[in-house]
Amino acid sequence: MKKLRALIFSLISVFLLVGVVGCSSGDSSKEASGDGKDEKVEIRFTWWGDTKRHELYNAIVDRFEEKYPNIKVKREFGGWPEYWEKLTTQIAGGNAPDVVSMHQFYVADYARRNALLELSDYVKENTINQGEFPESVVNSGKVDDKLYMIAQGVTMPGLVYNKKLFDELGVEYPKQGWTYDDFTAKVKELKSKGIWGVQDFSGGQLQPNFRYFARSNGQDLFTKEGKLGFKKETLVKWWTMWDELRKAEAIPDAATGTEYESAPLEQNLFVTGKTAIHQIPANQLYLYQQQFPDGELAMVTMPTVDGGEQGEYIEGAYLSITQKSKHPKEAALFINFFVNEEKALELFKVEQGSPGSTKMADFVKPLLEPAQTKAVEFIQSAVKNASPAPYSPAGVTELEAAFKDSASAISFGKMSVEEAADKFMKQAESILK
Amino acid sequence: MQTFKKAWRRNAVAYMFLSPWLIGLLGLSLIPMVTSLYLSFTNYDMFTSPVWTGMENYTQMFEDSKYLASIKVTTIYVMLSVPLQLMFALGVALLLNRGLRGLKFYRAVYYVPSLFGGSVAVALLWRQLFGGEGLINRGLALFGIEGTNWISSPDTALYTLVILAVWQFGAPMVIFLAGLKQVPLELYEAARIDGAGKFKQFFKITLPMISPIVLFNLIMQIIHAFQAFTPAYIVSGGEGGPLDSTLFYTLYLYQKAFTHFDMGYAAAMAWILLIAIAIITAIIFGTSKKWVFYQE
Amino acid sequence: METSKAVIQTNNIDIVKTEVKKSKVKLSIILTHIIIIAVGIIMLYPLLWMVSSSFKDNLDIFKGTSFFPKEIIFDNYIKGWNGISGYTFATFFKNSLFICTMAIIGNVISCSMAAYAFSRLDFAFKKVLFAIMLITLMLPFHVTVIPQYIMFNKLEWINTFLPLTLPKFLATEGFFIFLMVQFMRTIPLELEEAAKMDGCGPIRIYWKLILPLSLPALITTMIFTFIWTWNDFFSQLLYLSDIKLHTVAVGLRMFVDSMGESSWGSLFAMSTVSLIPLFAVFIFFQKYLIEGITAGGVKG
Repeated sequence: MKKLRALIFSLISVFLLVGVVGCSSGDSSKEASGDGKDEKVEIRFTWWGDTKRHELYNAIVDRFEEKYPNIKVKREFGGWPEYWEKLTTQIAGGNAPDVVSMHQFYVADYARRNALLELSDYVKENTINQGEFPESVVNSGKVDDKLYMIAQGVTMPGLVYNKKLFDELGVEYPKQGWTYDDFTAKVKELKSKGIWGVQDFSGGQLQPNFRYFARSNGQDLFTKEGKLGFKKETLVKWWTMWDELRKAEAIPDAATGTEYESAPLEQNLFVTGKTAIHQIPANQLYLYQQQFPDGELAMVTMPTVDGGEQGEYIEGAYLSITQKSKHPKEAALFINFFVNEEKALELFKVEQGSPGSTKMADFVKPLLEPAQTKAVEFIQSAVKNASPAPYSPAGVTELEAAFKDSASAISFGKMSVEEAADKFMKQAESILK
Repeated sequence: MQTFKKAWRRNAVAYMFLSPWLIGLLGLSLIPMVTSLYLSFTNYDMFTSPVWTGMENYTQMFEDSKYLASIKVTTIYVMLSVPLQLMFALGVALLLNRGLRGLKFYRAVYYVPSLFGGSVAVALLWRQLFGGEGLINRGLALFGIEGTNWISSPDTALYTLVILAVWQFGAPMVIFLAGLKQVPLELYEAARIDGAGKFKQFFKITLPMISPIVLFNLIMQIIHAFQAFTPAYIVSGGEGGPLDSTLFYTLYLYQKAFTHFDMGYAAAMAWILLIAIAIITAIIFGTSKKWVFYQE
Repeated sequence: METSKAVIQTNNIDIVKTEVKKSKVKLSIILTHIIIIAVGIIMLYPLLWMVSSSFKDNLDIFKGTSFFPKEIIFDNYIKGWNGISGYTFATFFKNSLFICTMAIIGNVISCSMAAYAFSRLDFAFKKVLFAIMLITLMLPFHVTVIPQYIMFNKLEWINTFLPLTLPKFLATEGFFIFLMVQFMRTIPLELEEAAKMDGCGPIRIYWKLILPLSLPALITTMIFTFIWTWNDFFSQLLYLSDIKLHTVAVGLRMFVDSMGESSWGSLFAMSTVSLIPLFAVFIFFQKYLIEGITAGGVKG
């Protein structure tokens, strides 16, 4: 009896304590978020990146605050992997920042689960001005025909190579608009000169490599309805192409490839000089060039299937507003400042890709380093070929894991191409049901 | 009446000492735990409300080949890393306990790897050591042996992570050291007079005297190893590859929750893990009566 | 008193023995040192590599073939220390130190109290509560993080140090409770009986007898609390959004972006600097680890 009383006593004190703390703070929050019009509004903006980008974006935000003294922007930032875990937790916890950096890979997961705000109203009333954005760029921010993201910077994947190395080896440069047959021939030629042609891109992420192949075959990763958009034969063709290169030892063996997969840029196969060609998003050309102080890097388009279609579609970095934002209007103002004002863009330059607005892209051009200019030119010429790409359905991350698993099963020699493709198609069916 | 009053006072005093912990338990720890238990019976993508699905998550698990792979990986890891790490920690602790010059310095040196924790530098370092062109292979090449890519071959990747765990043995070592400090020196003196050798001293005095500490380290390291996440996360870039060979239980759980937006499933996985660890802990506690000696 | 005498005596015996088998013992001691040093170099390799890299420029770190820097540069330290947007690492160090200090105080007080109850007192539901304490350690962090975040958000603790410090005063780290329980259970019961004879109540026994005698456990708790809190990167990132509140662990991660460019040089430079307090704490406290039993013995 008395034992119980002691227990109950401590229980009560706990609840009292929690209650008191909870209540007192609850009151203060109400006072803080008053509705007065002249009152200062506070929004929160979050992004991923490294110290240099943090420095840059902080400066851009400072300029925004200068222009709109009544809006205060709180900044939150971190590295790429933690960014998503933190953002997910914040959204789930009902405490998401107002403006968030978004990525194509995740946008479908966020938008379809009602975490993001539809932005078309703000574009209509011209709070966010997309007048200078090419249509394809505007469309790349849509999921299911609804606008969820505004492009900060667009980029295009391509293949990069070191001119100096090719000269030394006596290998001709790859040509713009080459085909997959040209590509495999080039890889084998490089092998005969004693260097691996390219890293094994048979697995890894679904896009861009396999996606370009599928699109060039007149298919895509997904259909508009969110079903699998390619046939098993396409997948078999893709993996067979890589398997042959692997068996010819023209690309690294599975273990070596895997070892370098998660290596930082400075340590990957291309930078360490083990492969001659590498697939990168064009905006990273500048970073790669820094790793090659002697020797000029050049970029070439992704290959196409002989007589097939162009694979190009738009990729990039985007800004979104979260569904539960208390100040969506101010958040929209902020996004507009970020993508349309010279004051912002002269700092941004091509930090996360060529600016979405063509006007701004032209504005930043004179400010760039040679490697950055080259990247912008590459992106702008490739954007012209871009056609829309359906957004990934929910479950895409699981699908990608299955894709990766099957591809490594082939490369490690645990499965034949046919078996692996069968397995993948089966998994895809159950994931995308 | 008298005994009743006494008992009440005894309890009141004990609960007074326990009160910070009890408040923390009820106010901070229990709510998230119970919530996760509830979520384990739901379909919860974290952005929309959870939907009750009963046992579905739990039944689904045993048809999930990746889940089963993660159990296998984790079991091997626990069975290898825990005993190896503890033996290493105890051995070094004995060596660095007393009677050598420069002990303080040595101890600090041996603790260095544990200071790194899960820092990014560890991932780089592991590649430097166990990569295809790493130090290990360069060493082997001196003897004419051609090594493989240890961190990225499905057959060896997990074992490099076991070595990583053993390498970061600082925490149990310090605890062992603290335990060894509690052993009264008179006991050794008496044993020496009786003519007991070093080995006999170790088994008759040291081990029994620090057995509570051994129990502690054993249980905590088991819990820790079952929950191992950071090593695989940073070394394999969060993938658990190649071919799921380093797909630790918690790594898969993390992927399910934060990459695949299936928190319900992750919560169910967490509770299965909890039950498994609890059973193992209970078994160890059960046997501990035979080999752990308290001052009671 | 007795214990300290014993220490002196053992030392004497050691000296006598050494004299008798001088040469043989000497050889084995030298051999032990050699082994310890050899293994020690393996243990130290990462640290040495990191320190050496911190003096290299970004290209030299990965492209350079030599372990030693081509030329020693301090750029990384200067750039690194400057931190982000006017907030230098001085701010981050101050924040980390504050959080660590609070965590240490909290853990030592609250965990030792709980441990005392579990190891030395008899009360209702003891076994059940002890089991619950252990069970709280068994759930992976990833599934409790969201409910916890929601809870702290409701309490309006986000973007303050409270989620990182206050729970420590409520003994949420069962690891340390269990650790201290195990240590307290090795303290001879006779000592407590004697104190009871002298009329000491449980509170005085806790304060005057148990706490001093479990000094090694308390020191261990302090060391680990400091190191683990210092390195606990994710919860600091999650709960401290404002750059003013950022900690060293969060600041360090800012140098690396797995999607693009990383300032490895600055990362290594600041990691080296951030190891200094960890190292200092370890060396400072381990002194007490060594003296632990004698100090306790005298008081007993």
